[in-house]
Parts: sequence; structure tokens; C-alpha cells
Amino acid sequence: MRFALRRLGFFVLTLWAALTINFMLPRLMPGNPALAMLSKFHGELTPQTLKALDVLFGVNTHKSLPAQYVSYLHQVATGNFGISLDFYPKSVSSVIGSAIWWTVGLVGVSTVLAFTLGTGLGIVAAWRRGGRLDSILPPTFVITSAIPYFWVGMVFVLVFGISLHWLPYVGGYYVSTDAPSLSPTFFGDVLAHAVLPGLALVVTTIGTWILTMRNTMITTLAEDYVRMARAKGLPGRRIMVDYAARNAILPNLTGFAMSLGFVVSGAILIEYVFNYPGVGYMLLQAVQGEDYPLMQALFLLLTLAVLLAILLADIATALLDPRTRTAG
Amino acid sequence: MRRLRAIGVLVSAGLLAAACSSGSGSGSGSNSSAKSVVTISNENGALWTCGFNPFLGADQLLSVGFVYEPLVYVNPLQNGKTTPMLATAWTWGAGNKSITFTIRKGVKFGDGTPMSAADVVFSFGLIKKYAALDLTGVWSVLSSVSQTGSDQVTMTFTAPAVPYFYYIADQTPIVPAHVWSKIANPVAYADSHPVGTGPYVVNPCTTANITYTANPHYWQPGEPHITKVEYPAFTSNNTANDQLATGQAQWGSQYIPAIKEFYTSKNPAYHYWFPPTVNVSLVPNLTNPLLANVKVRQAMSYAIDRAKVSTIGESGYEPPANQAGIVTPTFSDWLDSSQASQYNYAYNPAKAKQILASAGFTMGSDGIMANSKGQKLAFSVIDIGDYSDWVASMQVVAQNLKAVGIQLTPDNLANTDFTAALYAGKYELAYYDQQSFGPGPYYELRNWLDSANTAPIGKTAASNYERYINPATDNLIHSYAATTSVSVQHSVVNQLQQVMLTQLPIIPVVEAVDWYQYDTSGLTGWPTPGNPYAQPSAYAFPDMEQVLLHLKAK
Repeated sequence: MRFALRRLGFFVLTLWAALTINFMLPRLMPGNPALAMLSKFHGELTPQTLKALDVLFGVNTHKSLPAQYVSYLHQVATGNFGISLDFYPKSVSSVIGSAIWWTVGLVGVSTVLAFTLGTGLGIVAAWRRGGRLDSILPPTFVITSAIPYFWVGMVFVLVFGISLHWLPYVGGYYVSTDAPSLSPTFFGDVLAHAVLPGLALVVTTIGTWILTMRNTMITTLAEDYVRMARAKGLPGRRIMVDYAARNAILPNLTGFAMSLGFVVSGAILIEYVFNYPGVGYMLLQAVQGEDYPLMQALFLLLTLAVLLAILLADIATALLDPRTRTAG
Repeated sequence: MRRLRAIGVLVSAGLLAAACSSGSGSGSGSNSSAKSVVTISNENGALWTCGFNPFLGADQLLSVGFVYEPLVYVNPLQNGKTTPMLATAWTWGAGNKSITFTIRKGVKFGDGTPMSAADVVFSFGLIKKYAALDLTGVWSVLSSVSQTGSDQVTMTFTAPAVPYFYYIADQTPIVPAHVWSKIANPVAYADSHPVGTGPYVVNPCTTANITYTANPHYWQPGEPHITKVEYPAFTSNNTANDQLATGQAQWGSQYIPAIKEFYTSKNPAYHYWFPPTVNVSLVPNLTNPLLANVKVRQAMSYAIDRAKVSTIGESGYEPPANQAGIVTPTFSDWLDSSQASQYNYAYNPAKAKQILASAGFTMGSDGIMANSKGQKLAFSVIDIGDYSDWVASMQVVAQNLKAVGIQLTPDNLANTDFTAALYAGKYELAYYDQQSFGPGPYYELRNWLDSANTAPIGKTAASNYERYINPATDNLIHSYAATTSVSVQHSVVNQLQQVMLTQLPIIPVVEAVDWYQYDTSGLTGWPTPGNPYAQPSAYAFPDMEQVLLHLKAK
């Protein structure tokens, strides 16, 4: 209990620090949203528009920094992030709401898949080290994890999309023949569109999980208690899973929690290559468009998700490994 | 005028290689699109917000023309040739200080309600009341808009306002009073279900795609022939290009690298046309003492090999510009060829050196010219780092200028940093083009040269970024606004060309173009160089309405 409270206290402190940085950073950037908007619509707006935009975004109605900070904290507490400048006049929550589920679905599922598969393969590879699996998998995935994921995405588009016509590679669903609904056809459509981007993410991230799992697993397998378990004549499977893997998985679990947190930031380049309607590309757009409200909400969401995931990982680690609960 | 971003180049280059090696086996997908459907491929770089407020800059290009209509269509590519839309006739009043429009009868909005002169008065009143909606600044010259008689609207101006016709008649959409009068804050109104008089209604819109279907109440008999327009949101250049190359989209409006291999070679029915619109210029900061010297600017103009910039920097898509500032061939009949040849600014590095020498500059041991005070002709040029074509162009220009002893250091900035520096005048040289385009070269020249559009260093200039101030030029600009006579307008533009050629306030380098690709396999009626009835890009509003009304299934 004391452990959980201490963790929670740390969580709140980190959150406050993150919130404040989140507030300060965009305001240190040069330019203002009206200028950004004007450059974004390069070629479609007239000079007079600048005046109209200034009025629209209230750029010249200066509010002091402390006053902005107070209203910012109030917004955060109430979950009201105001109006997006880039997607004007939509509210930030509706803008994020329309994109976040695509990202959580795609990147979330790929992360869980990569972690589960990678950790499982890592366990088996370490258990049968020197075996066929162990001599093929780690080197292969050292290579794949070194390749940039957007490049893998582009190769997939080329091979499976353009050349072989096996799978769709544009967007989240067939935009002109299908419409978002709860029907099985739409679900299948979404799934088919998620295969290539999802696969590109899994292929490029799975290597890390395999390698770290395999290496910690090998160290653990050399421990005395594992030898003890063998001496007791326990079945190999039980030793592998309950004795070795349970302990070896701890570092991987923290890593997993972090990457789960980062899921909400999306995979900017994958979304770009596949024209996927997610939140990653939106974040990039918000930064370029100096869309403070959207940027702040997205960064906040990201911070919250990472902090929460770390908190949960800490608790999970504590459950799995009693040694971490107290200092000694 | 849109540019390719660096990220797009990276990815497109990869896919281009891919597309070439995969051969032309992708086949034609055009049979998959039903006969009277058009799919637009325009790299918007963002998902749709499904907002259609015609008075908001971000939404205009999706609503004005598709759903909302202007009073008159003015074609910028044909010297402002007019097509009556919601107004059937118009007459200028005394001294060109008022204009009366006769409003078309029998027009209905998409919800079946009749459109009347009251809606026109309401629309103009709306953008007066909410200055944020007045994107073209029409109320900077308007003094009143009122209904006269049953179907006439009279507008009065504070000064002669002939060039403002384009903004009032073509760029201001007419909205229904019965809908918009109930909206508490039109500035924050998304207008998700727009009601207008145009040929299409939105049905439906998602973040990934907008579907426009024919407006059953449309006033032009038999129109639109194209019953459905699909407008998917493309965040990246490569996917958008691929949709065009495979025939899944028929109307393209973006940059395609190596367009012959990637696009036109795929199908003989694929064509493109990139009409030039405005100059991309080297913009000197005239408050800089060295750049204020006209001889330095003349030397620069002679030293730049514009043809090479066009070939290397712009893949030949954007043609070389001329020092007179007249965009050709779009506005060729405005070009004063006798002056152009008299002041011939063709590439001539020897002449550039000679001019610098006559101005008292001598070549230093470091290869940079300096004057007797030791001030070197070394400048930084700001540029938008995201626009890979501009970055490449600046490298060519820097080499050109180096050859005559002027050192140019490109400073590739982020878009917002660039805009901030340019508007505030905190730069030495900049590479940029005007953001708006009008039905004649006057509009661009006015933006560059009118001292009303400039501001002191540190303050935001609207469009005269180089800080050029000359009362004689201002008078010329005002005299154009006071006349409807074409010959007087030509004489004014000739004099403005003389200003450009003798004073060189800016140095045009290449001409920015409208991106436009089209597929004739299933559709006819596309705008072509031989029949430029409208600006052809899907993002040009309200021009895209004209294109859609001209298109027919084969």
C-alpha cells in the first residue's frame, strides 16, 4: 500500500512537471497561428486574409502568460481543450476523437502482437539456444529492427499493394464504396487495410523484444534456482515459463509499458505512407500549424498515457517480483 | 502554387522507383469508376474536418464552387472573362464608385428555398459584421450594399474600385439568409451540412472522404452531368499520385515527380497542364543599404540563369520568369515586348560584372565584390526549407551570383519562421511568391508595389515585403482602379512594367504554376491549354465549379 502511494505521489509530481513543460514549449516557438495558417494555405489566400486571421484567432488580443497558465490548468482539469486552430472551428476533443481510435487500433494491436510474439520467441530461442530457431531468429531480427519502419511500409506498398494487388494500402477503409458502420463488411474492410501497416510495424519492432527477452532469459537460466528446479526434475516447460521467463520478463515488461504509452502518439511515418487516418500525422500537422490547443492536448494525452503505463508496469513488476516492493 | 514538401520527395522518390520497375501492369482502374463520377486526387496533407463554412480559409476550397456560388465567375486565365452565375447583369455607376448587380430569378438553394437579392445583401452584410470572415478584404473599399428594386443589389465604394470586381463578384460566396441569420457565431460555425445554390450537396463527409452528389434543385437545366464527386483526403503525395497513375482518380492537382514516367506513360488518355500564375521572385530587402542600390539588383537580374533554375530547381515544370513581372504565357498579351527587349534582362554574367564595376565595386581576393568602403556583396537569402524545389533553385541562384562576385548564403527556414521573418522585413533577400492571383498581371504587381501593402521593418507587411515605396507608382496603381477602359489599363500595366524593368523592386526568377492532371478516357470537357475556360486545379475556387459543369461522361 505504501509502495502504491509513493508511486502515485511520484506520478502526480511528474504529471505536473510535464503539464508545465507542455504549456511552455509551444509558446517558445517563433511565429503565431495566423502566420502558420497563412503559410499553410500558400497560394489560396490573399494578403488581406492575414488581417481576417488575426481577428479570427485573437492573435493580437494579448493575455499575460500567468493568466494563460491558469486557464490552461483549468482546461486540463475539465478536459476542455478548446477549439483547434488547424481544424478550425472543430473542438480539439472531437478532432482527436475522430483519429485516436484508428491509431489505438492499428498501433496498439501491432505493439501487443509484437511484444507477445517477440517475447514468446525470445523465451523459446533462449531455452533452445544454439538450436535452429536460435540461429535464425535473432540475426534476422537484428537486421529487420535496424530498417526504418516507413521504408518497410513502402516496400510492402510496392510489393503487396502495387505489384501483387493482394491487399489495400491506402487509408483505413475503402472510402468511396464503404462508410463507417458496425457492419461485418466494414469491419473486414478495416482489417484488410490494417494488415500491411500493422505488419510493417510488427516486423520492425519485434526484433527488440526477441533479443532482450532472449538475453535476459539466458542470464536467468544460469541462476542457481533454475538448476535447483532441474535437479528437482520439474518438467522443462514449467522451468521455462514459471522459473526462468517469469523473472526474465521484468525488463521487457517495463519496455512494453512504455511503448504502450507511446501508442497514442501514433506512428507518424506509417500513417503517412499508408494515408492512414490516425493521430500521428495529426500531431505533426499540429506542430507545423502551430495549433497550440491541439498540440497541447495530444502531448498531454501522450504524457498521461506513458505515465499511466509506467505506473501500471511498476505495479505489475511489484506483483511479479516481491523484491521491488520495499527498499530492503 | 502548392509545393512539394521534403517528406513527400523522400517517399515519392522511393515509390517512383517502385512504380517504374513494376511496369505498367497495374492496369487501368478507370472502368471501376461509374460513368458520371469524378474522383479528385489532391494532396491536401490533412484529413478532412468536414467543415464547409465558405468564409473560412481552410474550408473555402471545399465549399465555394461545389456548394456555394458567387455572383459572377471571372476567369483569371482569360483576362477576367466573365460568366454570369447568380447575377445576370451588372453596370458600373458614375466614376466607377458604385456597381449594380441584377440577381438571377428562379434560383433555389439546396433545401428548395428560393434565392433572392436579399440573400446577396445578407451575405455581404455578414462579412461586414464579422471582419474575420472578410477574407478578401472587400469591406476595405465597400461603403454600402443595399437592395434596389425587387432583384437588384447596389454596392457603393469609397474609391473607384474596378479591380475589386474580381473579389466582390467572383470570390464572395452567397449564403442563404434563412440559415445563416440563425447562427449565433458564424466565425465558429463549421457548416457541416452546407446549403447553397451550387451544383452539389455534401452527402456524406467523413474524415477520409467527401462525397458530393448532384443538387436536385440546381438552377442550370441538365446540370451537373457529373452526378457524383469523390474527394478523398490524401495526406501524402505518393498515395495521391498512385491513385492517378492507376486511374482510380481522374482529376489530379499536385506535384508528380518525373511525370512522364510516373503518369503520362501509363495511359495515352493521361494528360497534364501546369498554367503559370504568379512569379517566384528573389525579394530584396530595400532597406538594406547595399540592396537599395539599383545597380546591385540589376547585376543580380542579369546574373541569374532563369532557364537553368527552371530545369534544375523545378524539373522544368515551372517556366523561367521575366524581369517585367508579366507571367507568360498566361498574360502574354499584357507583355510590353518593346520594353522587354529594350531592357533585355537575358542571362548575361559579363554584363552583370560590368554593371557592378560601374557602380564602384571591385573583386576582392576572396571572389566577392566590395565597394570602396569595404562593404561586401554577401547576403543571406531566406527560403522555405520544406519546399525542396525552392531549396534546389536557391543553390542554382547562389552559383550564378557567385560567378559575378555576389555571395549568397541560403538560409532554409521552417515555414512559420520564414513567414515571420518575411512579413516583418527581418531578412536580406527572400525567395517567395505572392499568395493570391487575379485576372490580370495588375493584381500581382499591385501586391508587390503598392505602398499601402507595406509596413515599417518590424511590422507586418501585407504583400509588399521588399518595402518598396514610390508615390508615382502608387498613383499608377490607383489610376488602374478608376478605369474600365482596357486600353488605359494596358497603358498603366506598361508603365508598371517600366517600374519593374528600371527600378527592379523584385527579381522574378521562375513562374509558379497550378498543378493539374486529367484523364480523358472516360470524361470529356476538361480545361486545356487550347480551351482555358477556368483555372484547372481542383483547389482553385470557384473555378472547380466551371470544370465540373463542363465535364461529361463519354
